[in-house]
Amino acid sequence: MILRIAWMLARPSATGVATVALPLVAFATVTALLLTVIGGAQTFFSWSDGDAIIYQASAVIALVLLVVPLTSLGAAASRLSARRRDDRLATLRLLGASPATVAAITVLESVAVALAGAVVGVGVYLAAAPLIGLIPFRGEALGAGVLLPPLAVLAVLGGVALLAAASAVLGLRRVIISPLGVRLRQDTPRPHWIRVVVAIAVIVATNVVMGIIGALEVLVILNVLAVGFGGTLLVLGLIGPWVLRMVARRQAKRAATPERLLAARSILESPKAAWAQVGGVAMTSFMAVFAGSAVGLLEALGEDGENPFLYGDIRTGVIITVVASFLMVACSVGVNQAASILDRADLYSSLARLGMPVATMESARRRAVMSPLRITSIGSAVVAAVVVFPLTGAAILFAPLSLVMIALVLAAGIALVWFGLLATRPVLERAAILP
Amino acid sequence: MSHAILHATGLAKSYGSTTALSNLDLAVTQGESLAIMGASGSGKTTLLHVLAGITKPDSGHVLFAASGGPLEVAALGETERSRLRREEFGFVFQSGLLIPELTALENVALALMLTGVSRAVAEREGTSWLAQLGLAGMEDRRIGQLSGGQAQRVAIARALVTGASVIFADEPTGALDSRTGAEVMDALLASTVGQGRTLIVVTHDATVAARCSRTVHMRDGVLVDAEIAA
Repeated sequence: MILRIAWMLARPSATGVATVALPLVAFATVTALLLTVIGGAQTFFSWSDGDAIIYQASAVIALVLLVVPLTSLGAAASRLSARRRDDRLATLRLLGASPATVAAITVLESVAVALAGAVVGVGVYLAAAPLIGLIPFRGEALGAGVLLPPLAVLAVLGGVALLAAASAVLGLRRVIISPLGVRLRQDTPRPHWIRVVVAIAVIVATNVVMGIIGALEVLVILNVLAVGFGGTLLVLGLIGPWVLRMVARRQAKRAATPERLLAARSILESPKAAWAQVGGVAMTSFMAVFAGSAVGLLEALGEDGENPFLYGDIRTGVIITVVASFLMVACSVGVNQAASILDRADLYSSLARLGMPVATMESARRRAVMSPLRITSIGSAVVAAVVVFPLTGAAILFAPLSLVMIALVLAAGIALVWFGLLATRPVLERAAILP
Repeated sequence: MSHAILHATGLAKSYGSTTALSNLDLAVTQGESLAIMGASGSGKTTLLHVLAGITKPDSGHVLFAASGGPLEVAALGETERSRLRREEFGFVFQSGLLIPELTALENVALALMLTGVSRAVAEREGTSWLAQLGLAGMEDRRIGQLSGGQAQRVAIARALVTGASVIFADEPTGALDSRTGAEVMDALLASTVGQGRTLIVVTHDATVAARCSRTVHMRDGVLVDAEIAA
């Protein structure tokens, strides 16, 4: 019965193709990136020499870093799915369907969209594999080693579908589908200042530990770094929403134009939601500065070790991870924004009637995303620079080009998210369209 | 002597095979309160939208006696009509449709800021209008912290703060109980026609229409009769 209803609801709705296309593109991107990274990791795991462990550990870290933006993207796609069907789902509730039936239909639809996107993603991955194979590690192109066996590809497809299902269930917990419509639960507690105290304590402690470990062996250093890295990521998660709230409060007080006021108030409405949308880049920005300055410095000092390609390879890995992470955040922003516009379609339409230009609404929306993104990515990079200050200080002196490159990669990532936002403009224009 | 602030002639509008307006003529006098009544689908909201420059008619004219000289509303482009709605007209919708993340004062001030007025001036004007509508001391409340009647008063303040000469209200009391609805109508009438402005109200509610100086009835896109309040 659920399958039949889900199929009936799968017909095109008045909200346009963007609401289907966006999650589909998002899941295609996720799948293609996952397969690419796992494909690369597969190559590393076929090595068995002394340096192989560093490559393998780096590949695992990259995969872990991609999990956070991946899950937030899955949740966003599910939320959009619920929004897209809200009127029909509410009608089903009116007709007597139980919340469990409505939830099952939403989950089923999310999984179907995710699977369709994942299949497209497999196509993208296969098409891009010859290009990915050209990326050099240890002085040689990866080649056909990036191609995964069919079973591994199927496992990734299954994993993406599972993720979509789990995200849909979690996403639905925040949404109430009542017989009179779908609405978001308004529970947005303010982040407490105590988070900042905890955050500063962890930063200071990590900085001290980093100062002590200078003379240890590479693997020991890697382990300690991993602990410091994890600690600081925890800090970023704690402090992020609080910082966004403080900055937005100041912006709201000083806002001189309608778009600035709307953007600042929109962030203040839920700093945690603003953080959840862009928080994925915090980790990658942090890692980019952390690893980038270390590699740049070691390279500049001529610390080649036994493997002359190691540092260049780590830099390549860092760039790939940063770009992949920003790509996912870009997709996540696109999907979240589409859902948010659909949530507020009546309001956008009424603002257009009052004479508010669509350009003003668009500008407010852009600021509400780009301001937290800039704060998050640049802020995380600065925190990383502070935590490993002796390293970044030396990198500024001896390997400034390395830091310039990190800055350029972060700027490119921010631009990617901007494009993700731009992709949802047609949804806004449709919502604000006058009769 | 009173004269027409809005003069519509030969208005026609169709949505596919559905006729919303058919060769409709209507003159709205400055300072009057006009109620447009009719069953659902009779075309009353379309008429309000066409008069306000929200929707372009398929044919016909809407002449608006603007402060700078007469304007043919239907002939203006989207950008000019947006500017006209921002600067010359005010709107009150059934459920307020205020921006939930802004405070009451910011919702009102925003309308003025959109016309290029500085935030300080806009907030001063907004505070004054909120006070006139009985909302002094509630400036910093979010919309969710206001009752339905209070939120609708904020919407009225937002419609008036730009100095609009014509206020369009689409079922302004439709989401309120009868007592609160009557209070909101008191506030709306006092702040519009009570100060020489023109009020055009679309309503299903005969008690709301009875408060207006004139009522017109619509059926199938045409005006079927008119009543002038005693």
